[in-house]
Amino acid sequence: MNRRTFPLGLPPGGIITLVYIAFIALPLIALFIRAISSYSLWDSLTSDITLTALRLSLITSLISMIIVVGAGIPIARYLSRRSGPFSRVIDVLIDVPLVLPPVVAGLAMLMAFGRMGILGDALDTAGIRLPFTTAAVILAQIFVSAPFFIRAAKLGFQAVPRELEEISQTLGISPWRTFWRIAVPLAWPSIVGGLALSWARAISEFGATIMFAGNLSGRTQTMPLAILSAMESDVGAALALAVILVAASLIVLFVLALAATRAAVPAGRLE
Amino acid sequence: MSARGWVRHRIGTFSLDVSWDVEPGSVTVLYGPSGAGKSLTLRAIAGLVHPDEGNIELDGAVVFDHEAGLWIPPHHRRVGLMPQEYGLFPHLTVAANIAYGVHNPDSQARATELTRTLDLQDLQNRRIWELSGGQRQRVALARALATQPRVLLLDEPFAALDSELRRAVRQEIRQVLTASRVPVILVTHDAEEALALADHVQIIDNGRIVAQGDPVTTLRQPAAPRIARLAGVENLLRMRVAGLQPEDGAMICETLDDSPLTLETPLAEAHEGDVVTIGIRSSDVILASSEPQGLSARNVFAGTVTTIEPRSPGHDVTVDCGGGLSLVSHVTRHAITQLGIREGAQMWAVVKASSCFLLSDE
Repeated sequence: MNRRTFPLGLPPGGIITLVYIAFIALPLIALFIRAISSYSLWDSLTSDITLTALRLSLITSLISMIIVVGAGIPIARYLSRRSGPFSRVIDVLIDVPLVLPPVVAGLAMLMAFGRMGILGDALDTAGIRLPFTTAAVILAQIFVSAPFFIRAAKLGFQAVPRELEEISQTLGISPWRTFWRIAVPLAWPSIVGGLALSWARAISEFGATIMFAGNLSGRTQTMPLAILSAMESDVGAALALAVILVAASLIVLFVLALAATRAAVPAGRLE
Repeated sequence: MSARGWVRHRIGTFSLDVSWDVEPGSVTVLYGPSGAGKSLTLRAIAGLVHPDEGNIELDGAVVFDHEAGLWIPPHHRRVGLMPQEYGLFPHLTVAANIAYGVHNPDSQARATELTRTLDLQDLQNRRIWELSGGQRQRVALARALATQPRVLLLDEPFAALDSELRRAVRQEIRQVLTASRVPVILVTHDAEEALALADHVQIIDNGRIVAQGDPVTTLRQPAAPRIARLAGVENLLRMRVAGLQPEDGAMICETLDDSPLTLETPLAEAHEGDVVTIGIRSSDVILASSEPQGLSARNVFAGTVTTIEPRSPGHDVTVDCGGGLSLVSHVTRHAITQLGIREGAQMWAVVKASSCFLLSDE
């Protein structure tokens, strides 16, 4: 039988893959080319607006991730051990922010925690004002990014054989220490993978933030919001901000990928 | 140091009602079909199941007393549990697995000693997935014993090994168990294993202990027909050890008759002149209608068929080989007609040396 010959030596699936990769890569390449050829790149990179927005993005997303991981691990662990219709419902509810348009999420948060919101009076009495503060930025990030982490960590914990934790206890190790010595190390790749996805979502968060936290430089103007603002006056500044955001994201994802490869058990070895 | 107790526990329509009393350094085998409640019993002793009622005592200390409302959690019970697939920690090395529960110098010394006894020194830095089944079993045993447990619970310890290896490692494991002076409760659905390892057998069926006692008597006269079908070791031969051949890994045994027949078996812990019991499964005895030639099997006996009894899925054929040796062979209905097997017929019985195993009652 003759070997079929394909144009470029690739089957149709391969050609579509190539086109797709070009579709993804081209805008990114264009972004970098335009940013580099922009005569004011260095000024833009080191401008106050850029540095302020970058610092705010890093700090808020870091705080968000601490809260997401701190609360997400117990939640994921709890959900990994439950089954039945009730937990199915909880699973769906946890995933709601994934499908909710971020702008709607921001509006919804405003309706709950805003001055006119249903908790507005209570928060006001307590002397807490959330909308248009840095705290609101963090809440918006947590709202949209936590499901990524909880989902991944839950799957990770579910894959840990229960028997291993039981054996650990018969060897004299308390359930709490067993969790840290058995469940966490074995679920580690899932935990780190979930953290990477969650962080990427938080740092790129735009819609919910602008609705709930506004766009105030130094307080609520994160990188994505700064890019929008810069576009109105100076495309070069917007390009600089974009390049920094991409670079920062790639660095964090790279570090997290390294952490995930420190997994103690190769894929498929966890029976 | 002994382990005794009783528990009652219901799960849906299944109810468990068992008791045990195990002396240090002795092995009690819980023998029964799957679903009988054997593993559940072990889990109750380990504290992984909270029974409805009962009392569990380990080395004089009560760890569960329903009436007194006492329930000690698993990590304070000091039990060694070895599950069927061993439950080794895949993210840790062999050495870290063995040392997992070790937290005092005494246990540390014990771990080192066990690593040596079980021949694991060269494997210490290996990962679990790099080990063979037999090696995994030894690591799991070392890990369970290193914490100096008050009772050792073995759940189907040989199920994950192939049958040849099973017979080979059994004697070795038995020696480690006896030397450890820990009461051992071993769960199996394999009568051969029960006979080879038990000091005491409890037959458990549908959550109840239906018979108990010394292994040979108890398994020879099983209490229920369901168990009888499972037992499967029909040949239990009293023989004298006539010679040891360590270089071949073989042992020569002879029947206790004036004109004895000899049987070659695998080498075991025995001395010349000892009287031992050898077990052979009826399904491991092959029949031939003419004298077999050029056979690798070590044991070939000519004999006369005395009885043929139907036993699903075939027939038990008893062949009297003279010299005080009578062998039961399990054959299919097909074989009966093809070989012309009938009472009084001349037959040859063939047994591989590796099919013979020494019982633990020496």
